[in-house]
Amino acid sequence: MNVAATPVSEKVVTVTVNGTTYEHEVPARRLLVHFLRDDLGLTGTHIGCDTGSCGACTVHLDGVAVKSCAVLAVQADGGTVTTVEGLGDEELTPLQQSFSDHHALQCGYCTPGMLMSATALLAENPSPTSDEVKVGLQGNICRCTGYWNIVEAVVAAGKGSA
Amino acid sequence: MLLREVSYARPSTVEEAVSLLTEHDGARALAGGQTLVNVMKQRAASPDVLVDLADLDELRAISVSGTTLEIGAMATLAAIMRSSEVEVSRPILAATAATVADVQVRNRGTLGGNICVNDPTNHFPPLLVALGASMTIRSAVGERVVTAEEFFVGVFETAVGEGDLLTRISVPAAGKGTGDGMAGVTLGAHGTYVANAAASVVDGTWRIALGCVDAVPHRAAAVESALVGADVDEAAVRSAVEGLGATLDPPADVHASAEYRRSLAETSTVRAVLQAAEKARG
Amino acid sequence: MTAVETEGTTTLQKGAVGQSIPRKEDRRLVQGQGVFFDDVKRHGMGYVHFVRSPYAHARLVSIDVSAALERPGVYGTLTGDEVAILTDPFFQIAAEPGGSVKDYALAVGKVRYVGEPVVAVVAETRELARDASELVEVEYEPFDVVVDAREAVADGAPVLHEECGGNVSYSGVWEWGDVDAAFAQADHVVKISELHFARFNSTPLELDGALVEFNRGTGQWTITTNNQFPGFAVIMMAPAMRVGTDKLRMVTQDIGGGFGNKITSHPQLVALCLLARKLNRPVQWTEWRTDFHQSMSHGNERWFLDTEVAVMADGTMTGFRSRALDDAGAYLRYEPLGGVIWSQVAPGMYGWRNLRLDFTQVMTNKAPCSPNRGYSRMQHLWFTERIIDIVAHELGFDRVELRRKNYVQPEQMPYETPNGCVYDSGDYPRALEAVLELIGYESVEQRRADAASRGKLLGFGIGSTLDSGTNNFGQSQLLNPDLQFSGNNEVATVKLDIFGEIVVTLGTTPQGQGHETTAAQVVADILGCEPDIVHVRAGHDSYWNSHAGFSGTYASQFAVTGLGAVKGAAEDLATQMKTLASMVFQCPIEAIELADGFARIADNHEAALPFMALGAIPNANNAGFPVDPPPMNARYVFRPAFQVPDKEKKFGNLTLTYSMQIHACVVEIDQETGVYEIVDYAAVDDCGLRVNPKIVEGQVMGATAHAIGAAMFEVFAYDEEGNLLTPNFYDYHVPHTLDMPPLKTAAIESPSPFTPLGTKGMGEGGGGGIHCICAAIQDALDASGRAIVTSSYNPYHRVWEMLREPERSRGTVEVISK
Repeated sequence: MNVAATPVSEKVVTVTVNGTTYEHEVPARRLLVHFLRDDLGLTGTHIGCDTGSCGACTVHLDGVAVKSCAVLAVQADGGTVTTVEGLGDEELTPLQQSFSDHHALQCGYCTPGMLMSATALLAENPSPTSDEVKVGLQGNICRCTGYWNIVEAVVAAGKGSA
Repeated sequence: MLLREVSYARPSTVEEAVSLLTEHDGARALAGGQTLVNVMKQRAASPDVLVDLADLDELRAISVSGTTLEIGAMATLAAIMRSSEVEVSRPILAATAATVADVQVRNRGTLGGNICVNDPTNHFPPLLVALGASMTIRSAVGERVVTAEEFFVGVFETAVGEGDLLTRISVPAAGKGTGDGMAGVTLGAHGTYVANAAASVVDGTWRIALGCVDAVPHRAAAVESALVGADVDEAAVRSAVEGLGATLDPPADVHASAEYRRSLAETSTVRAVLQAAEKARG
Repeated sequence: MTAVETEGTTTLQKGAVGQSIPRKEDRRLVQGQGVFFDDVKRHGMGYVHFVRSPYAHARLVSIDVSAALERPGVYGTLTGDEVAILTDPFFQIAAEPGGSVKDYALAVGKVRYVGEPVVAVVAETRELARDASELVEVEYEPFDVVVDAREAVADGAPVLHEECGGNVSYSGVWEWGDVDAAFAQADHVVKISELHFARFNSTPLELDGALVEFNRGTGQWTITTNNQFPGFAVIMMAPAMRVGTDKLRMVTQDIGGGFGNKITSHPQLVALCLLARKLNRPVQWTEWRTDFHQSMSHGNERWFLDTEVAVMADGTMTGFRSRALDDAGAYLRYEPLGGVIWSQVAPGMYGWRNLRLDFTQVMTNKAPCSPNRGYSRMQHLWFTERIIDIVAHELGFDRVELRRKNYVQPEQMPYETPNGCVYDSGDYPRALEAVLELIGYESVEQRRADAASRGKLLGFGIGSTLDSGTNNFGQSQLLNPDLQFSGNNEVATVKLDIFGEIVVTLGTTPQGQGHETTAAQVVADILGCEPDIVHVRAGHDSYWNSHAGFSGTYASQFAVTGLGAVKGAAEDLATQMKTLASMVFQCPIEAIELADGFARIADNHEAALPFMALGAIPNANNAGFPVDPPPMNARYVFRPAFQVPDKEKKFGNLTLTYSMQIHACVVEIDQETGVYEIVDYAAVDDCGLRVNPKIVEGQVMGATAHAIGAAMFEVFAYDEEGNLLTPNFYDYHVPHTLDMPPLKTAAIESPSPFTPLGTKGMGEGGGGGIHCICAAIQDALDASGRAIVTSSYNPYHRVWEMLREPERSRGTVEVISK
């Protein structure tokens, strides 16, 4: 029986987040979002609900958009995570700039999750239509904007759009 | 929001997984986690041991074997949407997967997880009953296959018991003369179902299953009989469905009264049947 | 898509003001570098979990925390018994009977709603605090529960606060004009027995919370939080805690949405303050979504009963009388102010002069109410819009013509309402034209026929609404004559720092409204520079001394009070800069202009001082001046000119500005299921001068989305035992991207004659979307049963019932004609 098959209540996990590899002991019950925010100090990923409904916690895990509140940190062991802090550097990415250009954020709380979902969408579909953007962002709740400007911003950021 | 203490294991073979599930009382299989982790956050259920199936690649396979579409229990809804095997063999599965919640949930959520929860409002239990699917369950003593109707036992309860692991869902491939439909009303676009119906016709034989109205998917047997041999136009379908609501005893909750659910069940059935009939015509 | 038409002039030369410049806030927010309270950590901090009541109404028999305290990692607890010793009950706004409510940081003696905090447990980690809370033993003796306001007001109902003698917190009759005469002379009386504005709120995505630190040496608390009205919080907390207000330092930076729902967190903040002092460590509390839904800030639920409307033969509505029954939930925290605030818009947008509202507010075993976007005006405006829609429907008037006829007309502006409020400016008929054009009104009947051919019922509706802004807190005296609150204020400082930096501080607590940006635009135009170089500090901090009693962000007033303070401070600084330049150049001050980032002689641009030079002089190089060089530092308190209203007549100006929105929508209803879709939507807003049009449009969009949610999906529904049936986002569905209709917007600018910049506050919106969706549904049902829409909340279920049993809602309406 391999070691990983013995149940443990704490585990040292190895996770690469935004290009940096961390080794950290975590309780099995710790949510990935709390690991990112509290253990690693990456507070750009936010929490807006307790039923996995709002998407404010969206990150990329092994290349796909997931809600980090519905994943345990131990499930990310050996995996790769990208958070909003890993999207750009000093310069804003075209998507981030497009959000600002189109007033696609007001309070900014849903914005990291929106950016992560939109980034995943654009990676798979570089020039999405409005309808495709809406499907891509269906898992991200915003209470400030009504979504119209967000959809516009993502469409505009799509390759080949103005 | 914060889970109770739990132990976690990540087996690398199905045998190890079954072993863990057998050895530890209060062990639960962890598939995509989209339901289980959220249930644990509410502290509505708190397993002692989580057996993470993530490394069991063999459970993710989607393939066609003869006239059967075999979907591994760990196939994600996103994978089902992308699968060319599903597209060719039984596209209703992909179309339905595309309406479950959102991209993030579909990236992690699995078909096996969706049906093992057997939440009466879930998409796949009634659909798989309508399709006449069967489920393969592995345990320490071997493997057994159950029909979809045998699989769904009660609210949040399936034939997967202690020490069991669902490995595969088998769905007949759609041939000519097959048509599937699914219709219902949700709480907002791609939201939770308030009422739904799945209908499938294979060479004139109907299977119709309703979700949301009972502990398990409800076969609308009388409607199925009434449709046999009928020219399936709208009038005939409405006639066959009439009275269905009165035979149901659906729950009332904040989203719908029992009476509204009865009415929605009837309307959903009509629409699912008409969809299926149109698909069957090709 | 925005069509702008400007009327009148403003006092400000437009440069940056009026432009949709990109927001300063955006850079940090899109990079995930915003600082929300839960992002802040302190070494050794303890995490708080509240043990909450599972009962809606019960006596607290006993509390035993000993098992919790024994768990390793648990730092301590706090119970109501301690709170009752260490603090006094919170100040109550209400006069008797509501004034007798005893409200503390934790439940004392009794619990009155499911989710009420009973014990606080503090531990080393969030998870441990949560675990330990399960070890706290609380014994309850349940009482009968009352969840319906109509029952709460009746004899024999369970009483929540015995000291009040019953459940009524406030009642009063509001009457102006000659209501009896209006009804005697009316050609028609339209009676509506029952209208109900449902219970919901704006569910900001970020939940409440705080990190509280206590300095033992100075007795000072530092509260890093997201409370959006720190002025009010401190006024509530300080006397309860028996300390001066300066002992409570409120700090916010980024806030993830407020919408009024982050005004009444002061009980939890007091609990944290007591814990931080008791345990000698920082303590932190994060509210979870379920906690918020169950216990924080529900919007006012209001019945309008036995409404009668006096209408003349030509459609002129001359008056209404009605009974309002408002449900405040279990405690009065900002209530009963809802009992007067509606009167800011007593006649709605209409010219009737004879109004009577018999207003009663009761307490029930549900979550306490607090202001919710559109606070109390939205409920009343919905009422007036239901009236005009139902009057048109029942008497056969065209709903557009009836509005045109009854609207307050532009030539009447500024318009004094029957109760002495002054609508500052606006052109309602023109806005109505604009929205009709935007939505393609002339094609509605054709679209209706097309929908019918697809088996759908199509409906068109208009919802017109006002967003009154900048409160006169003197209106509180109309509820309680002994209160010592009146007027309003806001503060800003602007300084020119030693290296020429322009630094602005605000007293407000923005939650996405773009205050840093719009403030910079105003300052830039006054100082003659670019907004880029105006640095506006993010958030709020009492240590800046840039606040006054009413500081915060609420009640649609920033564009008036906040920017009024910014304008005042910037003009003061501008004068200082010109004075200093005139001292340096030894010329009259009138010769100096501020432009291009310099203070220079207007006729000789060579004689120019850059900001850095000006800033350096008083700060570091001030010798040799015969008189003091001005300090390059200005603090301004903006005070709108208000009187204390007449308490006896309930008459006076209660609000400085009135923004307006008119919404229109088209719905299609599936007759079999009641499922409906909004297929087209348009909104026109007028908020006077728009400092940043894109930001204004964003607020209109956000208000529209909230209204769509409230009309279609969102409700706080309770069962008979007082359990909330929609305690999280699973059951309380808020709109997602796929739920949104297409939207067209346009704007009109009718500057306010009363404000420093001609701006009007506008963030709340007034619920126009709810009004137009209700109207559209009723219009659609005209072809099938003619049901009357009597509720603000119309989920598919209700539409189905209206289709099946139209006589039920039709039974609420009666017309008596001469």
